[in-house]
Amino acid sequence: MSTFQNGAAPRAIDDDSDIEEEALAGDFQEQVQYEGMEELEQVNSMSLRDQTDDIQSRLAAAAQPLDFSAPLETKFASYDNYCNLFHFILNSDGPVDLEPPSYYWAWDVIDEFIYQFNSFCSYRNRVARQANNEEEIAILREAPNTWGCYSVLNVLYSLIQRSQINEQLAAMKRNEEPTAVAGDYGSKPLYRMLGYFSIIGLLRVHCLLGDFSLALKTLDDIELNKKAMFARVMAAHFTTYYYVGFSYMMMRRYADAIRMFSHILIYVSRTKNFQKNAQYDSISKKNDQMYALIAICVAFHPTRLDDTIHTALREKYGDQLLKLQRGGPESLPIFEELFRSACPKFISPTPPDFDNPELNVDPLEHHVSIFMDEVKTNMWSPTVKSYLRLYTTMDLKKLAGFLEVEPEKLRGWLLVNKQRSRQIRWTENGLLDGEVVGSGDLDYAVQGDLIHISEAKVGRKLVDWYLRNLARTY
Amino acid sequence: MGVTFDHAPDRPEHIDAILNGLDRYNPETTNIFQEYVTEQCELKSYDCYANLALLKLYQFNPHLTKDETITNILVKSLTVFPSPDFSLALHLLPPHILTPASASSALPAAGDAPLSEAVQKLNVLNNNLGQASYAAFWSTLDSDDLYADLVADVAGFEELIRIRIALTISQSVREIERPLLESWLGMTGAAFDKFIGGVCGWQIEGSLVKIPLNKENEAKGTVVRENVKIDQFSRVIRRAYEQPA
Repeated sequence: MSTFQNGAAPRAIDDDSDIEEEALAGDFQEQVQYEGMEELEQVNSMSLRDQTDDIQSRLAAAAQPLDFSAPLETKFASYDNYCNLFHFILNSDGPVDLEPPSYYWAWDVIDEFIYQFNSFCSYRNRVARQANNEEEIAILREAPNTWGCYSVLNVLYSLIQRSQINEQLAAMKRNEEPTAVAGDYGSKPLYRMLGYFSIIGLLRVHCLLGDFSLALKTLDDIELNKKAMFARVMAAHFTTYYYVGFSYMMMRRYADAIRMFSHILIYVSRTKNFQKNAQYDSISKKNDQMYALIAICVAFHPTRLDDTIHTALREKYGDQLLKLQRGGPESLPIFEELFRSACPKFISPTPPDFDNPELNVDPLEHHVSIFMDEVKTNMWSPTVKSYLRLYTTMDLKKLAGFLEVEPEKLRGWLLVNKQRSRQIRWTENGLLDGEVVGSGDLDYAVQGDLIHISEAKVGRKLVDWYLRNLARTY
Repeated sequence: MGVTFDHAPDRPEHIDAILNGLDRYNPETTNIFQEYVTEQCELKSYDCYANLALLKLYQFNPHLTKDETITNILVKSLTVFPSPDFSLALHLLPPHILTPASASSALPAAGDAPLSEAVQKLNVLNNNLGQASYAAFWSTLDSDDLYADLVADVAGFEELIRIRIALTISQSVREIERPLLESWLGMTGAAFDKFIGGVCGWQIEGSLVKIPLNKENEAKGTVVRENVKIDQFSRVIRRAYEQPA
């Protein structure tokens, strides 16, 4: 917060709000100061805004997308504008008396704020990697804390704390009145909505930084259902499920990831006729990304998908899905291609090392290589399963002969497949909780060189038939 | 059996308080977390969620990084394979850590070349374990003195790994030849007998080791039956009231 406390101090808002600042937020501020915030002031001074600025136009401006190719100067200025705005909202004398311009304004602001943070970090990293633009390197080197990770997290956490949104959500979960715990700030729609969407924003930032468990932990107080507040803003609804699903996938909880992606994709396919507008266009890219992720998850964890999803998946990624499901080394490039096209734009939280361009590896490469290790570990599972399905008992050496591998390799594959078919699946409470469930319909055990195989058969489904006929006779 | 990722049975209260507050971002807590890692290494306890919080502090404040603590966390997370903990920890390390040495050796200025070498070595172990190449795991571990240094701080490393290996074996195997199991567990002779009988509770019969049946290795065929709920009949029942015959 000191970003905008320090940086914007010249704007002479009577800054005694520190006193009422909660102890935690105070601690936080020290840490950021310790990061060397003084440098910010120089940058800030160029964008000093007149106090009498029309606040409503600034609110609207904060939700406006910034052009991707905007020059560095604009990006810095935009950062300062956000700092000033959040400083005004958080550190004025008591809650600011403002109505948000629209019900989706709060989402747009947080979304744009994080988007700009994300693209700034990617850009800075790229400049350092290419190391051929001396001028920009010099500017970026001078301002290591602009769009700094601590500042961004600070804004999000401060908005969450100010609005008491977690307490409010917890109260709602217990079926109590949230206003009782909302406080002066949290009872105002502006703060409540900013706080709420900051939680979603945190989910996103943690995911971008590669901290997938903390990303899921962040949503502890939010219940994922259609009644949730985020469901009122399509983009928020969509984003939430994308990042939750992605985090699950990275924690190897494929069943949960599929559940998340399916939920939102079905929702989109059912409502797309009502949303033929700009908002829908912007999510159609993410839509395709989620189909790609579902394809990856289904390859890891074969399962029956909803018919709508299944049809769309075959249309979009039919060939790729077949190759993924076949496994083996041929599937590796497909996994990688889909992952690259569908993952979030990962960032590194610290400024790059401008003196050693080689050290500034694109964070994407890092996450891809970790993910691909897991893919390689698993790549023989489909092969093994496809053969085992054909038998009830099988000699291990004979099967190894079919597959043209050493028996010892095959033993390893059998163990791996068994381990990976057990995964944690959510049942209740926080998103991180769950139970270990054996997921495969195929089970086996090795006795010496003999593999005993059993299959879970699905019994006849009679209820549907019965109901249909009943309906006909009535 | 419920699994909760963010809880650890042995976690002290003050650590819990930090993890649940904003102090988890406070660089001053780095020391507390580091000591906690040391404690986990000594006491054979394990707290993934807290360790990830420390790696996050390092991620935000690279100058505070202690290589030894990072490798200790990674080694500890090997002892809970096949859980994804090792990968989750890797995701929080600097992006250049996995790039092959040939690319980074050209710049001796890069202060953490030894760290990236160590992490890559541990990653090899992780892949060995993940791919159930247990014999390869033990020979890799023996192949380089660096490994001995890396695992030295973690009390009972080999035993913890053996227990995990035994656990994964017991999920899929009912009977296994002794020499093979010896190579998987990286031990022979009397020590092997003791581990199989004492720790695992398996029987050795001649050159065979028998693993008692458990839920995982019985491989019983099941028939999934339909789960019928009264709700599904609600319409039928309602119709019956609406149109009395």
